[in-house]
Amino acid sequence: MILSNIETVPGKQITRFFGVVSGSTVRAKHIGKDIMAGFKNIVGGELKAYTELIAEAREDAVGRMVREAESLGANAVVNIRFSTSSVAQGAAELFAYGTAVTVE
Amino acid sequence: MKFDPSLPEDGINVSRTNLLREALLLVGGVAAIAIAVAFAAAVAVDLVVPHIPIELELRLFSGWFDRAAKTDAAVDPREQPLAKLLDRMVGHWPECPYGFEIAIWDTPEPNAVALPGGVIAVTRGLLEKVESENELAFVLGHELGHFRNRDHLRGLGRGIAFSLLLVAVGVGGGGSAVELASLAGQFAQRGFDREQEIEADRFGLALLAAEYGHVSGAAAFFEHLSELGGPGEGALASYFSTHPLHADRIQALHGTAHEMGWALRGEQRPAFSTSR
Amino acid sequence: MDPQVELGVRLGIPLALLVLAYFTGAAVERRHYASIRKCELRWRGLPAITLRTVPPSWKVTECTLITGSVVISVDYFKRFLAGLRAIVGGRVKVYESLLDRARREALMRLKQQAVEGGYHAIVNVRLETCRMANARNSESIAGLEVLAFGTGVKLLNAP
Repeated sequence: MILSNIETVPGKQITRFFGVVSGSTVRAKHIGKDIMAGFKNIVGGELKAYTELIAEAREDAVGRMVREAESLGANAVVNIRFSTSSVAQGAAELFAYGTAVTVE
Repeated sequence: MKFDPSLPEDGINVSRTNLLREALLLVGGVAAIAIAVAFAAAVAVDLVVPHIPIELELRLFSGWFDRAAKTDAAVDPREQPLAKLLDRMVGHWPECPYGFEIAIWDTPEPNAVALPGGVIAVTRGLLEKVESENELAFVLGHELGHFRNRDHLRGLGRGIAFSLLLVAVGVGGGGSAVELASLAGQFAQRGFDREQEIEADRFGLALLAAEYGHVSGAAAFFEHLSELGGPGEGALASYFSTHPLHADRIQALHGTAHEMGWALRGEQRPAFSTSR
Repeated sequence: MDPQVELGVRLGIPLALLVLAYFTGAAVERRHYASIRKCELRWRGLPAITLRTVPPSWKVTECTLITGSVVISVDYFKRFLAGLRAIVGGRVKVYESLLDRARREALMRLKQQAVEGGYHAIVNVRLETCRMANARNSESIAGLEVLAFGTGVKLLNAP
């Protein structure tokens, strides 16, 4: 599955397009990491636990988007966009969406 | 570029999960965490408390209860004899570092409370219900036991740890999770509270035996409490009340008396006042 | 109050609410999904793509911004579970269906707008998610808003 966040796949032609495919996950980090992050809030700096959290979520979400595209019979997803939102206290949603197409 | 109107497979973005199993897992998990933290805190407190110096404890608790305040304007005539009885009991505790004071509370429910700092409060209801000096001596001895075991500090330590746990859960999870954690934590702590009461009983028995040569006062006191009707007999009630079921305490009483060779029956002196 | 009764009330009320929410929430969700699937089948012929450039074979006569949005709230049972999950960590499965429903509903409303306006396709579709906080307690989620917007185009020859 070819993934790209530009409108085309350079060197190939889009022969058929389907529609919007998307993948999303909602993840939470356990409370120990939340408390450490609370301390980090005082000194500042990268919140490694949350960075990991978002990275895992992103892989997961892209994986689901690819599965939707595969179920359509597409071989590429173009114009991919990401959106992160906080769904509830301590939980973040990562949402990836793009257009499923067949390229040759 | 041709348009293909196919629809993707349904449900890729939703994990097939059995909600009830998830609920069981999560509730069990959080309750287990809360109970584990409560236990760890109680054990830590029990380890630390014996090393805290008495002076520190007295300074910490001074001023919590105004020793001079009396609930009644008129001084209860039973106060003096009660204070003398307390002195006799304290006499059997030579290493006692506290100075004690008696307070009589004007409430009808029979109760006795050990207040941090050195005040032992007894209710009017209790004074009217006891039928002998021995029973009263046991009640005072039990309260002295709380002081000897530094139970106030233990309670304070556990309370602080418990509050921290609830705050942490609140930050992570929100209202209902706090309720759940609070219930689980209290359930875990009840065991420690009950143990404290039985230990205080044990000290009271020792003082009784030293004063009278036998521990009939304790046996008589428990028999009276059973007649009055204590908290409900259900298993749930016994866990969620701070005082163990009277049957448990009676069993512990018999056990200790048997172990130490103290007689459960003996001559009982009349209480200093059986009427108001 | 008798401690046993008090305990019963303290546990009983939230428990009853949870049970109620579990059953009604599941029913509401099932019904919503049924309606979503019906709409998706009905309007599958209307292309909605995230690409910005219009396919070269299309001859556009008119275009305008169209939107579709929805705010969905999750039932008490799921909120309770999500709160617990935030302590333990991991995938918050109970909210996945909420987001899925909200997103598909927003897309369907976008398509509905296109159909009502007589548009033949939607390009540059974007989705934005936003959390509506409870007025009392900003931690708990009152509802989730999903906005879907794009440019609806009218074509000389419908695809």
